[in-house]
Amino acid sequence: MDTLNYLGQGFGVALTPYNLVTALTGTLIGTVVGLLPGLGPINGVALLIPIAFALGLPPESALILLAAVYLGCEYGGRISSILLNIPGEASTVMTTLDGYPMARQGLAGVALSLSAWSSFIGAFIATCGMVLFAPLLAKWAIAFGPAEYFVLMVFAIVCLGGMAGDRPLKTFVAALIGLFLSSVGIDANSGVYRFTGDNVHLADGIQFVVLVLGLFSISEIFLLLEKTHRGQEAVKATGRMMFNFKEAASVFVVNIRCGLLGFIMGVLPGAGATLASAVAYMTEKRLAGASGTFGQGDKRGLAAPETAIGGAACGALVPMLTLGVPGSGTTAVMIGALSLYNITPGPLLFQQQPDIVWGLIASLFVANVMLVILNIPMIRLFTRILSVPNWALVPVIAIITAIGVYAVHATTFDLFLMIGIGIFGYILRKLDFPLSPLLLGFILGGLMEQNLRRALSISNGALEILWSSPITFGVWVLTAIMLLVPLLRIWRKRSVQRRALADV
Amino acid sequence: MILQRIFALALLLACAALAVMAWPYQAAFSYEPVGPRAYPLLILLLMGLALLYMLFRPAPIVHSDEDPELDRATLNKIGACVVLLLVFAGLFEPLGFILSSMLIGIPMARLYGGRWLPGALIISLMSVGLYVLFDRIMDVPLPLGLLDVLEN
Repeated sequence: MDTLNYLGQGFGVALTPYNLVTALTGTLIGTVVGLLPGLGPINGVALLIPIAFALGLPPESALILLAAVYLGCEYGGRISSILLNIPGEASTVMTTLDGYPMARQGLAGVALSLSAWSSFIGAFIATCGMVLFAPLLAKWAIAFGPAEYFVLMVFAIVCLGGMAGDRPLKTFVAALIGLFLSSVGIDANSGVYRFTGDNVHLADGIQFVVLVLGLFSISEIFLLLEKTHRGQEAVKATGRMMFNFKEAASVFVVNIRCGLLGFIMGVLPGAGATLASAVAYMTEKRLAGASGTFGQGDKRGLAAPETAIGGAACGALVPMLTLGVPGSGTTAVMIGALSLYNITPGPLLFQQQPDIVWGLIASLFVANVMLVILNIPMIRLFTRILSVPNWALVPVIAIITAIGVYAVHATTFDLFLMIGIGIFGYILRKLDFPLSPLLLGFILGGLMEQNLRRALSISNGALEILWSSPITFGVWVLTAIMLLVPLLRIWRKRSVQRRALADV
Repeated sequence: MILQRIFALALLLACAALAVMAWPYQAAFSYEPVGPRAYPLLILLLMGLALLYMLFRPAPIVHSDEDPELDRATLNKIGACVVLLLVFAGLFEPLGFILSSMLIGIPMARLYGGRWLPGALIISLMSVGLYVLFDRIMDVPLPLGLLDVLEN
């Protein structure tokens, strides 16, 4: 009953006119950002952090704004997938498979509204799951000491590699680069300056807004330069905009199944929306069997990934809020935002600042409802935004990015650092390194080192503390399993190849 | 493949250099068993091992239709873009936000295939608009630079 009580209190926070306007603004900004090529939830949230700070928003409103932008971006990303066949970000690749064929058949409006509805159901299921499980997890996590946290973070990093599929080694290297970058700056425990090269501007470390915007916005600007010659016509959204009851009912079971799946995948560190949408699509395709027309505009093929994305996006907030360990790039950025406000997410947050936690959860419900209502009448406007040409868009993105970076410290050193990081990020991208593990490593790095040192201080330097408690031991076992997954996958692939060779 | 090897080697050398840099990091006095040196060294060691593996067994990069091979023209464009951004960062404070963003925004619009006149029009409007929006309405301080004289 406590939970319902708190949830009511949370709605009290979320439904104040001020926070409602904040959520509405956030969803609108988020949808537009998600819609534009080259900007995803990570950039959107990162750009808004200094602005939210400058506006002097109270912490709960800032968090509501960021969460609304996050959900809005996930919504916006689908529009370009369906109308242009260009996924706005990795997670919406699966949406293009059946969404674009539907649009070609003259069902663009139906596809958009149906995917909005699916995503709403997914997010709704996940938010309910969050209400049920987050307090339990938080209560359990209070027993965590520094050693447990350290091991948990190792697990989160290893999970990223294990889940990443075909390039585990590159994922590890990216995460390690992030972990290393977090150690630049003055060491809080001993006062030693590390890797600053006597530069004053590096003394308090690399600002994470600078890192995020460099890695994601600046490198994206370079990537867009490669694609200037290609023009793409958007499919016109004409005719019926709204899906009808029959269509909704035909995918309802899919929605429920994929919503649950998305939530579970979202909670797992490292899995996230991309993997959730892929697994959901594949599962539904297999379940439909011969009766499906997957790939040619099957409604289930559209609903499955969208529901899973909605579920995973909300599910990813669970480990962030309860453990303080982010599971995805975007939630890592949100952790960074919280630390600007001097809020440390984790189990204690549920006890000490229930207003913030429950206000956020309640505002997720509110933002989801807003998005569904907004999306349907505004589809025409959004499709017009899609036709903004790159030459007008990219310089503005560059300028806004510079404003965001300058807003943090008001030094041009940060601008140069951002460009440097951007070039590095571009090279990493060209060499097929994933970038969000780097970001996650950067956010986790500081916490990881602190917890490791604290744990070893408790044990007076004895390493046993890192695996002696049942929780740490269990997490180590899970970590070992996650390490074996990519090896197993490679081994299986090789044996299949060998069999194929033997058959010839 | 070869690019990846070069990259792995460069990063490996950087790791080694950083490890040398980290070696003297020692707290003058300390109450804790782990000093400021251990953690960065551990990370650098792990990264070094991974990079060594990558140096000898680089993973093939799969090219999709999405990203075409880099050609000379694209590389030149990217170089130009980097230069523009560096100029932007350098002139941000001396020239002020509005002038510097016009100065680099217009050639940048050109770089992305826009024509001079519409590019100049949109970027000029956006520069002034963004200045008003951020500096005046949202309280994010931006430098005025040369335009300072207009203020008074």
